[in-house]
Amino acid sequence: MALRSQLLKGILEGCILAIIARGSVYGYELSLRLQNYGLVVSEGSIYPILLRLQKELLIRGEIQDSPSGPNRKYYFLTEQGVAALQEFKKNWTDIKTPVDLLLSKED
Amino acid sequence: MNYAKDLIQLNNKKRKQLTKENLKYYENILVYIRLSYSKNEQETEEILSDLLNHLLEAQAEGKTAEEVFGDEPKQYADEIIGELPGMLTKKRTLFITMFILYFLATYTISSGAFVLILYYVFNLGELIREIYIGSVLIQTLILVPITLFLGYILIQYIRWSCFKQINKVAEFLLLGISGIVSFGMYRAVFYFVPKFSPIVEMPIYATLPLGIILFLAAHMTRRVI
Repeated sequence: MALRSQLLKGILEGCILAIIARGSVYGYELSLRLQNYGLVVSEGSIYPILLRLQKELLIRGEIQDSPSGPNRKYYFLTEQGVAALQEFKKNWTDIKTPVDLLLSKED
Repeated sequence: MNYAKDLIQLNNKKRKQLTKENLKYYENILVYIRLSYSKNEQETEEILSDLLNHLLEAQAEGKTAEEVFGDEPKQYADEIIGELPGMLTKKRTLFITMFILYFLATYTISSGAFVLILYYVFNLGELIREIYIGSVLIQTLILVPITLFLGYILIQYIRWSCFKQINKVAEFLLLGISGIVSFGMYRAVFYFVPKFSPIVEMPIYATLPLGIILFLAAHMTRRVI
């Protein structure tokens, strides 16, 4: 896989963890939140990521009846998920500042 | 335990709310993913229900399936399959056992019925047959893997055809020819396996209770899965 899409996937994973950390969401809700932050990704692309995060036990899904329609799968962060989010935050700050600096000096 | 079956039923009901184009797109993905057959059923149905719920909400906002899941449905479905956890080995064994039992049950009953019809409708043959137990065992041992193989080919064909426009006439011819070839293979097994003892005389009626027992066994296996 291209480094570019690997990188984007990793970032998207971190962002999804961050959103779920603020409260459980279901798939469609999650894609709306991402869009609200200006993260325009193809909506469907969150599902393979949600499956992977579940497999890695960073999130878990629970099917619940919701007021507006039955049987939605809500996603929650697990303890490992909380730890993974902390690590992502740290990695992100470590790389963000130097990359910003480097790019701004280009011109 | 069998929450997957509830999800399947719910999916069948909800799917009717999709527009024609969205339904076609979604059903291709659904069939393709379900027929990957080596995946955990519960997880498979959960993600299929997630995708359907998402598509229904997006549709209400005037979006199409292509806008939501992209214009490469096969690639997208493969990505989903790649992330789904596999089926447990025990379940897989039960799955194959069930398939074999259903095959044997259908085979026993239909061959029994065939003889009965010959006898009563066309006045041909006899009701009590000499059965060569050895031959029957060998034939069954050959037929079961052949049938599993044909089933496998059929599943692969359906998956392959999911995202393609196939000429109806060509498909009809292809399926017809495969049907004749498979039938020929079955006949060949009966023709070439030599007759050998021990011989038992068996009234053909006996195949019916035998078939029913096999059906019940298959059904019970299915309920355990």
